[in-house]
Amino acid sequence: MSHTIQELLLKVHQVNLRYDKQILRDVNFEIHNIVRPDMNQGQVVSLVGRSGVGKTQLFKILAGLIKPSTGKVTIDIDQHEVKPGEVGIIPQNYILFNHRTVYHNLKIGLDFSGKKISEKEEQDIINEYADKFHLREHLKKYPMMLSGGQRQRVSIIQQVLTGNKFILLDEPFSGLDMLMIDRVVDLLLNVSTINDFNTLIIVSHDIENALAISDTAFILANQEGQEGATITEKIDLVSLGFAWNPGIKQNAQFQELVAGMKHRI
Amino acid sequence: MKEQLKGLVQPFHTLNKKAMLALIVGETAIALLLWQLSGSELIPRPTDIMKSFFTMLHSNPEFMENIIISLSLSFQGMGISLILALFISYLSLIPLFSPIANFIIKCRYLTLAGLNFTFIVLLPNDPHLLKISLLLFGIVPFFVTSFLSILDGINTQEYDLCKTLRMNSWQTMWEVVIVGRIDQALEVMRQNFAISWIMITTVEGLQMSGGGLGTMVVKSSRFIDLGTIYAILLTIFFLGVFFDYILGVIRHWLFPYTKLQIRK
Ligand SMILES: Nc1ncnc2c1ncn2[C@@H]1O[C@H](COP(=O)(O)OP(=O)(O)OP(=O)(O)O)[C@@H](O)[C@H]1O
Ligand SMILES: [Mg+2]
Repeated sequence: MSHTIQELLLKVHQVNLRYDKQILRDVNFEIHNIVRPDMNQGQVVSLVGRSGVGKTQLFKILAGLIKPSTGKVTIDIDQHEVKPGEVGIIPQNYILFNHRTVYHNLKIGLDFSGKKISEKEEQDIINEYADKFHLREHLKKYPMMLSGGQRQRVSIIQQVLTGNKFILLDEPFSGLDMLMIDRVVDLLLNVSTINDFNTLIIVSHDIENALAISDTAFILANQEGQEGATITEKIDLVSLGFAWNPGIKQNAQFQELVAGMKHRI
Repeated sequence: MKEQLKGLVQPFHTLNKKAMLALIVGETAIALLLWQLSGSELIPRPTDIMKSFFTMLHSNPEFMENIIISLSLSFQGMGISLILALFISYLSLIPLFSPIANFIIKCRYLTLAGLNFTFIVLLPNDPHLLKISLLLFGIVPFFVTSFLSILDGINTQEYDLCKTLRMNSWQTMWEVVIVGRIDQALEVMRQNFAISWIMITTVEGLQMSGGGLGTMVVKSSRFIDLGTIYAILLTIFFLGVFFDYILGVIRHWLFPYTKLQIRK
């Protein structure tokens, strides 16, 4: 598969996080723009690790919602330090505004995108996305009337509509059945190809599904005798030939990789 | 049948509407019966109360008038209190004003009876304004207390969502605290409606020149006219229950999503 690795989009510099004990230790990684000819190939990166290892904390640091004890996260071509609002987040429990309908939840995303567009255009864009992601019939409902999977889709589209290039997802597969997981995978792949710069960062303990849609994966784990989790391994799924392949879960070698990783997290 | 009876004493068991209604009617009937049987000179029986209620309705023109006086006082007091309380609660999120809101909450512990004199000195010529001011003084601290505890309970993730949607702190406050919790403001008002009636009867009792149900209660107790007192209490009780219901209906109607938050 022909592709080139280009400019740096996001860099985590020596991030440490301590509460009463060390949670994250010297976390470093980079995400680069991947370019494939004749298409808008965005980036999908997963951060996998055991429950309680510090994934959600790292997630919040990447979004600029909490400051690490030391170190920093820089984004975009100019590599400035991340500020809240520059990175979209889909939290573990898909939080939405419960006092607004699905339509208005999406509209609020567009309203804050900074684009100047008319009501009519807003309506068209929302309808287009709603059609594409099977939400058309739910637009008038309130979030409390939706299933977990539907809420998740609204949440993802809301963040896409704000125009954020970076979208972080915390455990996007948890609580969904197999069929729904495949749907989310499709949705995420779809989002990742809307724009060349779109970058999805998936934080998950579900190795198989996370790896299946990623081009790169990082393992966040504790090392013998040291307090605090750090990146212990980087897996380049593009070089392994596992990336951008919808049927990859059926591949025996891919399954071998997944099985091997289960022991290393 | 046996299953149904068992359900009556099981925690979290839900009855259907019909059964629930039957239960309420049944328990009310039993309570009234026990009351009727145990009545004495000091505690008027339900029949006595009903009797003096209807006599009052027919032969005492002041009664209706006093109901209207109290109702209008209560509406004005509640309306102004709600606006004031919301304003104070919103301001409490701005550091400069938060000490003030905290002080107002503590004012719950001040009783109206002792402050009556001060208010009379401040507002000697206007009994209506005096009553409204006393009422506000009595209700607002309770409103603010309830509303602030709602604001405290807002999930921080909702604020995070606003940040990721690039809202600034004023926009966040508008979306989450003001628009997002306006239904709960109405609920706070409903829950505290009872307090407003306690305050109204107190205020009208303290400041008798304007009339009202509170004045009637105080006058009747001078003559130990128990039937009348109980009839007034009954009136207040049913007015309260009625408005409680109406406010609930209005809340569901204005904010349809509130119906969804009641887990069945
Ligand atoms: N505010 C805090 N103060 C102290 N410790 C905290 C705080 N928040 C999180 N922790 C600790 O940080 C560690 C990592 O938590 P985190 O939520 O990031 O785990 P996680 O990897 O996301 O787990 P899961 O997969 O179960 O969601 C946990 O041991 C947790 O107890
Ligand atoms: Mg987590």
